[in-house]
Amino acid sequence: MDIWNFLEYGAWALSVVFGAFLLIDLIRVDTTYDNDLLTSSREGEIEATQERHTI
Amino acid sequence: MAYEPKKQGLAAQIFDVVTLLVLTVGALYVPLYMGLAGAAKTPNPIENPTWEALGQNAAEQRQWEALGITDPASVNDMITARFDYSFSWAALIIMIVSVVGYFVLVVRLSDREYREVLDERFGSKRKGG
Amino acid sequence: MANITTDAAKPERLQLLRVLGPAHVWALGVGIVLVGEYMGWNFAVGKGGMIAGLVACWVAGLLYTCVAMIDSEVTSTVAAAGGQYAQAKHIVGPLMAFNVGLFLVMAYTMLEAANAITVGFLLDTVAGMTGHSGLHQQPFIVLAIMFLAWLNYRGVLATLTFNLVIVAVAFTAICVLFFAIQFGASDVPLDFSAVTEEPLPYGWLGIVAALHFGLWYYLGIEGTCQAAEEVRSPARSLPYGTMAGIMTLLIAATLTWYMCSGLIPWEYLGQAGTPLFDAARVTGSVWLMVLLFIGTIFATLASANGCINDASRAWFSMGRDRYLPSWFGAVHPVYRTPYRSIVFLVPIALIFALGAPLDQVVTFSILSGLLGYTFMTFNMVMFRRKWPLDTIKRGYVHPFHPLPTIILLILCSTAFFAVFLGYGTQLIAMMCFYIVASLWFHFRRYQYVRRGDQFTMPWPRPQGY
Repeated sequence: MDIWNFLEYGAWALSVVFGAFLLIDLIRVDTTYDNDLLTSSREGEIEATQERHTI
Repeated sequence: MAYEPKKQGLAAQIFDVVTLLVLTVGALYVPLYMGLAGAAKTPNPIENPTWEALGQNAAEQRQWEALGITDPASVNDMITARFDYSFSWAALIIMIVSVVGYFVLVVRLSDREYREVLDERFGSKRKGG
Repeated sequence: MANITTDAAKPERLQLLRVLGPAHVWALGVGIVLVGEYMGWNFAVGKGGMIAGLVACWVAGLLYTCVAMIDSEVTSTVAAAGGQYAQAKHIVGPLMAFNVGLFLVMAYTMLEAANAITVGFLLDTVAGMTGHSGLHQQPFIVLAIMFLAWLNYRGVLATLTFNLVIVAVAFTAICVLFFAIQFGASDVPLDFSAVTEEPLPYGWLGIVAALHFGLWYYLGIEGTCQAAEEVRSPARSLPYGTMAGIMTLLIAATLTWYMCSGLIPWEYLGQAGTPLFDAARVTGSVWLMVLLFIGTIFATLASANGCINDASRAWFSMGRDRYLPSWFGAVHPVYRTPYRSIVFLVPIALIFALGAPLDQVVTFSILSGLLGYTFMTFNMVMFRRKWPLDTIKRGYVHPFHPLPTIILLILCSTAFFAVFLGYGTQLIAMMCFYIVASLWFHFRRYQYVRRGDQFTMPWPRPQGY
């Protein structure tokens, strides 16, 4: 066991932490909010409000 | 009048994503498994390799040394390896046909779909603009 | 209509957060690409020799200057996440858009995998130098992808500010190495004798073949478009950030060729894993080695980071239009990122990073990019034809049309031939993939898509339709 072995285990541990955060937060958000709200984003809203592209 | 798309259930959505994934992974791994992938360099090692015989001048010898390589024999293969760029015209024609054919196919089908989109967005009208 | 404000729409609508400035656009574009200077471009030298490496560097630079000009014009007019995908949808049609979306996701996810593989490889090299052989690379590959996915999930401003810092460090490292060598910090002098002694080991064909990896110097600069929906002022920031990006890269690419070709024998350079780091090793200076090690790590992380950002935006946009299940078109209520797409693409990147060899992944990425550039040529012609300059206002109008388009088309054809030399099977396998995927979309998937809703820009009806 040298420092590189510890780094390997450390990397696995941190990967699990980040992965767990992603999954837990995803599940939490999906169960808290209404899916219609979450998928309410629409393309082209910038154009519709600010950048009209009219000459 | 507007086209009302079908509703898609959860199982069908998952099925669609899996289809796409299988296609992707297949395109990457099938050539690998069939052993068709990759361009290989072929080494042509020479007899009694010295730096001079391998065409390395004094400055280049110092560079090899700085890279940690002092024995010319150990890089005999690396220095003499060359790619083989011979190719068959048939393969070239297959490539050209598949690339051009692909773009023609996509643009033509797109155009058909595009007209439907415009008709729904701007109202149906036959010609002009 | 002009009275509608985003604030009024806020309570019931979730949007991506619009917080980025031109510097972030630059960091996104250069960040994805700069890793190409630290690894990969040198295979061009292997494929054609030193001169071919330089010619490929500049010819590819010309190709990408055309790409940047064309992209800046279209994207400053179509400010939508998904970039070229949204362009294709408005200009060519839905099936083309689906294909372009796939090009983007493939090119960036593969590039992300290649970066993670490089992080593992570099750490293995360093562990070897400290006397530890047989490092397990997998945990570091997984960690790099997980960490960057987490960063992306948490918000775009932090993600790209992080990118700005590490890209600046990586770019500075290249410049420092150049000046250090010029002022004699290197033990070994620069030597370009191979240029005269062995100018073209493969003849002129070598120059064409080298173009394949010459693309690697700049691949991904077009990714700036993906940020369009998150930029405060897209019509101004996108052309500005993209053009500044391509200039930065032209400088970095030329410096890199000069230093590496001068310090490393071309036979070694043509197969090296980390050429700039090797150049620093040749100088014999420990400081330069440490600096270039940091530069290499930062460049790979910045690239993977930008790739996650871009691939998830493209996937998200396709979900929003129901080209893919609409589940993916979700925005996080707090962080305002396309969080489901980000999470979904993590395991995909892992499959490629842990399972496939580097040159396969790189070639797949290059080919997807190349198909995208080919699309840009006729996209540009159709854009000018359907909406001439006096019909809609563009944020930026590129000069000399149609010259850049013609040059781009010629160079793309040459690059296809270059890839064909040596990697013909992959090219054909990939064309089969895209053809099957296109048929699948046209005959199955498209029935779930709302027709009129796809056209979201406030433009008049195109001419000729």
